[in-house]
Amino acid sequence: MTVYVDINRCIGCRSCEVACQRVHGGSGHVRVSFVEGLASVPIFCHHCEEAFCAAACFSGALHKEGDRTAFDVDKCTGCGLCALACPFGVVWTEKIAHKCDLCWGRTEPACVATCPANALSTDGEPPSRQSQVRAGRAGASGCLR
Amino acid sequence: MTMVRIPTVCPYCGAGCGFFVEVEKGRATGIAYMPGHPVSEGSLCSKGNAALEILCHQERLKSPLKRKAEGWAEISWDEAAEMVARGMGETIKNDGPGKVALLASSKCTNEENYLIEKLARLLGTPHIDNCARLCHAPSVVGLNRTLGAAGMTNPIPDIADSQCIFIIGSNLAENHPIISRWIHRARDRGAVVIVADPRETHTSWMADQFLQLAPGTDVALLNGMAQVIIEEGLIDEDYIAERTRGFEELSASLKGLSIERTAQITGVPKEDIVRAARSYASSPASTILYSMGITQHTTGTDNVQAVSNLALICGQIGSPGTGVMPLRGQNNVQGACDMGALAEFYPGYRRADDPGTIEFFTSAWGAAALPAGPGLTATEMIGAAASGDIKAMYIVGEDPANSEPSSLRVKRALESLDFLVVQDIFMTATAQLADVVLPGAVWAEKEGSFTNTERRVQWSSKAVDPPGCALSDLEIVCIVGRSLGLDFSYPDAASVLAEINRTVPQYAGITRERLGEGGLVWPCPSPDHPGTPILHTTGFRLPDGRAQIVPVPYRPAAEGPGGDYPLVLTTGRVAVHHNAGSMTRRSASLISREPELFVEINTADAQRLRIADGDMVIVTTARGEAQASARLTERVKRGVVFMPFHFPGTNILTTEAADPEARIPEFKVSACKITRRG
Repeated sequence: MTVYVDINRCIGCRSCEVACQRVHGGSGHVRVSFVEGLASVPIFCHHCEEAFCAAACFSGALHKEGDRTAFDVDKCTGCGLCALACPFGVVWTEKIAHKCDLCWGRTEPACVATCPANALSTDGEPPSRQSQVRAGRAGASGCLR
Repeated sequence: MTMVRIPTVCPYCGAGCGFFVEVEKGRATGIAYMPGHPVSEGSLCSKGNAALEILCHQERLKSPLKRKAEGWAEISWDEAAEMVARGMGETIKNDGPGKVALLASSKCTNEENYLIEKLARLLGTPHIDNCARLCHAPSVVGLNRTLGAAGMTNPIPDIADSQCIFIIGSNLAENHPIISRWIHRARDRGAVVIVADPRETHTSWMADQFLQLAPGTDVALLNGMAQVIIEEGLIDEDYIAERTRGFEELSASLKGLSIERTAQITGVPKEDIVRAARSYASSPASTILYSMGITQHTTGTDNVQAVSNLALICGQIGSPGTGVMPLRGQNNVQGACDMGALAEFYPGYRRADDPGTIEFFTSAWGAAALPAGPGLTATEMIGAAASGDIKAMYIVGEDPANSEPSSLRVKRALESLDFLVVQDIFMTATAQLADVVLPGAVWAEKEGSFTNTERRVQWSSKAVDPPGCALSDLEIVCIVGRSLGLDFSYPDAASVLAEINRTVPQYAGITRERLGEGGLVWPCPSPDHPGTPILHTTGFRLPDGRAQIVPVPYRPAAEGPGGDYPLVLTTGRVAVHHNAGSMTRRSASLISREPELFVEINTADAQRLRIADGDMVIVTTARGEAQASARLTERVKRGVVFMPFHFPGTNILTTEAADPEARIPEFKVSACKITRRG
């Protein structure tokens, strides 16, 4: 399972942040990033195919399990190498490593389920807007420039 | 260990999202989403996700309290009831019932609001109101006049069927985030989105056209658009002829208007006004969504009527994807109004100055006599408290000391009362001024119906008991009623709803048994009626079934910038806070994301004032001053500054100048100055 982001739909409401925090005992793994008050995008673990965090993890706590970059809490030493290795800044250590676990054990990640704007999805096919929009706009008002 | 999931309705905004509260051993342990919900489809915004933080909060009031010289003393319910009976009773006996005022709560259920307004009127006072006065009173007045019904004309999911969505004076992406999913759905189908706002907001990110108008110039913009539509022949002539009256007057009133002048007043380029007007008028289904950017003005009623005019001349009311959509801010502000917790209306919008209304309720309630209205509005009550015309108040689930404009004046007024009883879940700024404080319950600690912004009446179930000795607000109102000698012996919310079925025609068919998943949309006049998601499909509940077009000349806001106060302060909300903030400022995961009062200033203005991003500044108006951290931005134009009203500082600054009809204060326009804190 992968969580996809449709930046066109994100409204910066931070529901994903609060939902993630809620289901992870107060420690959330999503951060909504704002670009000069003009756009927003939720940032979280990409579960990289070649996961630098897992490569850096000498204890084997972070490791690949299929598509997922999984985390075995019992093996974590809290060394922080994963946080240094992650190119996206979405792994950090606070005694132990913290990162998105795709809500393992839930039917759907909380961030996806809660997103009011449908900006997050697991099907990877956000409604392709452009083609529909052009046709629709032409029908809606021929006067748009 | 068994865990049960109790269906509830979110306690925050008016969207009416559903979610389950997970309960184990009598304690709320979690939230589960509700994918089958017709509006939220299982999604929930940040506030909804944080709702349990309020339910289990350590600062919840757990016992009735009485004021003592050195603080507060816990008292029994018996003693509290006796004090309320004495405090209110003496005022009624010595000064007459007209010296008592009640504020009902748009956070409480329909049943509770019905009982609070009934309590007021059985005591003999017409002075009952709720905080709708501060958000959508102009919609009640304006839409009743133009369309014959005060509510959203179409349901929220219907927005997805719209081809042109015109959002004016609403930052719904932050304040009703769930509605954005329906707007996105319409966009996916090719709809055009137009946003008009003095500020670039998260909502404007969704816009194809963004009209950044000057605060308080909405009538000018809407009239300008109407004029373009009439001049270019884009009106719906058949609709105007068959369904409306007053078009000629409107047309005549707009004759002399020049688009250049409109552009000059609003600050919106004339090409943009023309383009927006053409898009709105020529789409097969256009809807207008609005909120407090329209209503919180001295011209609030005019603004609402100008919105109606635009929709009516284009025939954009009464079918799927069209409509006039006032988005309500509180979970039950629609219901509180429906239940007659308003100065000018008895339940079901029966006019309080109509002898027929008084006759009906005198008979229905078995009362000896009932007061005719209109009574004092929420804002007028504060003035009357200051002047001594109101001597005792019973305030349920409202925090006027933070939510009313010019709040230093409000606090002085409430302090001058002979007796104040406040019923709330936290020790709010208003409760701090009370003689007696009664601990109420939050949404999941009681059952009852809530009516969301689209008129959908939903039953919310009780998940857990209130903390300590706190009681449901229905039980408390019954205790207060009985202590004042009234027959308030309602065993539960269902028994009150049964009475509402008999007295409120719009709710006649909305019985407890029928309120299952998804609820029912009023008007629902009989037990076999399916409800009415779209209003005005065949006509209007006005003479001849015709809507009323009302010409509205543009008037500037009460306060303009100039002299000592060169900037215009406008107010609004942010995604992670709600209204006066008594809940969200106590919610750890929300307050941590927006911890303090800020003021947005245009970068050019800030440079001139030698203010850097993050500086602490003092914002001053004729009412007082407040401290805030400066945020430099291009989101507001030069000359305009923005502050969210979730923190106590903001409403110290706002003006009490009010709409002459709806009596809503002009929160959106105050003249101010800003200085860096020395």
